[in-house]
Amino acid sequence: MDHFKERSTRDYFQKKLYSLEGLLERENRCIYEEPAFCHAACPLGLDAKKLIGFAEKGNFSEARAMLEHIAPFPRILVYGCEAPCEKVCRMNEVGEGIDIPALERAAMNLGSPKTGRGMLKFKKKQKAAVFGSDLFSLSLAAELARKSYPVSFYVSQADAVSLIKDCAPFLSKDDLAKEATRLEAMDIKIIYSCKLTKELFESEKEDFDIIAAARSFLNAYFPGDIPDSRTLLSPVSKLLSSQNSDPGVLEAVFDARRAGVSADRIAQGLDPGSSRGEEGARESRLFTDMSEAVPSKRVPEPQEGYTREAAMEEAARCIRCKCEECIKHCVFLQETGKYPRLLTREIYNNVDIIMGDHLMNKTINSCSLCGQCTFTCPNGYDMAEICRDARENMVSTTKMALAYHEFALLDMLFSNDEAFLAKPQSGYEECKYVFFPGCQAGAIAPEAVFKAYSDLTGRLEGGVGLINGCCGAIAKWAGRTAIYEECEELLKSELKKLGKPKIIAACPTCKKTLEEMIGAEVKGIWDILNEKGLPEGALEYDRPLIMHDSCSARGDSEMQTAIRKLADSLGCTLKEVPYNGDMTECCGYGGLVSYVNKDLASKMAQSCTKDEDVPYISYCMACRDRFAREGRESMHVLELVYAAPAGNPPDISEKRKNRLNLKRKLLEEVWNEEVIVVNPEYKIVIPEDVSEILDERMILEEDVYDVIGAYHAGGSAVCDEKSGLLTSSLRKGNVTFWLNFTEDETGVYTIKGAYSHRMKVRTRYEV
Amino acid sequence: MTDKVYYTVEAEDNLICRKCGIPLEKTEAVFEYLDNSFPVELPACPKCGFVYVPEDLALGKVLSVEKVLEDK
Repeated sequence: MDHFKERSTRDYFQKKLYSLEGLLERENRCIYEEPAFCHAACPLGLDAKKLIGFAEKGNFSEARAMLEHIAPFPRILVYGCEAPCEKVCRMNEVGEGIDIPALERAAMNLGSPKTGRGMLKFKKKQKAAVFGSDLFSLSLAAELARKSYPVSFYVSQADAVSLIKDCAPFLSKDDLAKEATRLEAMDIKIIYSCKLTKELFESEKEDFDIIAAARSFLNAYFPGDIPDSRTLLSPVSKLLSSQNSDPGVLEAVFDARRAGVSADRIAQGLDPGSSRGEEGARESRLFTDMSEAVPSKRVPEPQEGYTREAAMEEAARCIRCKCEECIKHCVFLQETGKYPRLLTREIYNNVDIIMGDHLMNKTINSCSLCGQCTFTCPNGYDMAEICRDARENMVSTTKMALAYHEFALLDMLFSNDEAFLAKPQSGYEECKYVFFPGCQAGAIAPEAVFKAYSDLTGRLEGGVGLINGCCGAIAKWAGRTAIYEECEELLKSELKKLGKPKIIAACPTCKKTLEEMIGAEVKGIWDILNEKGLPEGALEYDRPLIMHDSCSARGDSEMQTAIRKLADSLGCTLKEVPYNGDMTECCGYGGLVSYVNKDLASKMAQSCTKDEDVPYISYCMACRDRFAREGRESMHVLELVYAAPAGNPPDISEKRKNRLNLKRKLLEEVWNEEVIVVNPEYKIVIPEDVSEILDERMILEEDVYDVIGAYHAGGSAVCDEKSGLLTSSLRKGNVTFWLNFTEDETGVYTIKGAYSHRMKVRTRYEV
Repeated sequence: MTDKVYYTVEAEDNLICRKCGIPLEKTEAVFEYLDNSFPVELPACPKCGFVYVPEDLALGKVLSVEKVLEDK
């Protein structure tokens, strides 16, 4: 199978990422969209967090508009509400909760009413009648008028002020007048000074489609006719009325809201109990981290209410309850600006697109798959699983461009081909152990690997074989199942040849990947070193260090403890940082981020090393390398154990050379095998500044040699007569490499520049 | 193939094919990627057909079109 055949934009395959149930099950774990506790506690659904936000900015008119939207008589509500919202305020846990009712009152007193006439509404054909006055019937009459029903409201009072006063006796004179004016401005036909008798009801009701009454009216003329608890429709009289005879202010207003919904159903000829949606207060599933909440006391509300400044000060105490646990320390999620639920849906939709732009491809390939979110999320959201599944899906439907991961995959194949080495210990056919240092160890700290292998063979009995290659993690991260399976086949066959030895890994990712692959425990070299003690010559380190846990060690407390024990025996003084252990961050190598999104990978490494200006120690070679590349002093624990400092981080070409040199050194010095190295007959000089360009542009020295080799063998080049600069190119696989160079009389080529592109180019006469 | 030309790079006088020893000429060429093709005009050797893609074209327009097509 050709793993490196470019995809075609003419292929139209599609495979669902998840079933609908699978998608919803995942999405529902994310509670980012859950309402704040104060919001959830309000049966009217007032988003108090939002209202407080307006108040904090001094935007009391917007806050007032929110109240006028949820209640027909907002002053009655803000002066009479029992305020379940303030009882559930999380600030109560660390001091005094926010005085939400006082802020609502401030909104009504300091904010301006909305002006403008609003939208032109047509009256509905169905008419409504409301008999008797209490807060419920008053609110319902207003609710029905807002829904554009022609409403007739039969009351015993003589005018609007006495009507409001009887319904809300707690209002001040001033507020009474304001709410009476509000009532008079509503499109309600109020029949004042009415004798509310059963005869009146019987004679009038035939003219109306919706009939409602104050609870005292229902009790007086239809005793025992109790309204339904959900629809508030009385079975005998068909009157809509409040649930309780003497409801509180909030309950009365909420009942009016619910009765309004029933009225709509009745007007449409539907069952009043159907399609009502979610009503009333509910429990919020939101998680709010209170560890950083600062205790504070309420700003006292004087009799005349808050001033603007006092209200803003009180509102500023609100911590705006929200769950961003996963986003707090994940550079990837911060970069996307999206929370997991939204991100999951966008990824799902992206996978579903057959033709058109797949805008989430880069995002899908920018997750480090480190699993931090699963530990930081109170519900264990697994963004890594979703991104990995999406990558596999994209590969299987030929939607994954090779450009994203080709370099990393070719590097993996290099590790498992040219640089691969699998041998039993000299003198053994089968071994009790096999050392698996991992591809990055050989690439970054080859001397430490060499010494580690010599140490293990010297101190362990039963033979220690060596397998130096890639564990398959790269293919797994890239979503390339077929390449992973080939790697699995290779490693299993080599393990079989070695007599199925116990694996000793030097890399947490290799340990995790190999354990999944072979289904057996894999030891870490740190376990052996703790058991056998440090080898002679181990470097002691007396400066404080920060231990950075590998993301592959997440959830593996044994490994985390063993490493600290080893560091302790080296004399290291470790400083622990908050986001470590199971909460550790990825260095940017995981999930192949550093190949797909270099800037993001840099930010990830910087985020890992931001805490203090002390050197970092790690037990993952990729972490060590990425931190050093960001200019931080970092080391791998094996560099100390084997007194083999790896120095400056190698570039992409040096990483390959290191692996080849390590293989050669092992073969020559451990197995006494002769290795023949063929050098080209021409010499190439690559100045340092050009080496940096090569590294930045992911062009290997090997590619440089191949381009020059092809030119040297008679290939074409363009010569700039003015500068004498030559430019030649070579197509290798899916990439065309270009070099700018000079050639001197002695046959030395000096490279001046390099670039590449993936498009093929030809003249139109060629086929 | 249509007659439309997406991009043109003029052949500068000082560019000579090293192998054939003759100046490059503006030539009808084509870029191909992921089963899409774009007719262009680039400097090329009229004899051996070696097409020259300058660095600013490779890292500019070509790269941006590659990225768009990769996510189609």
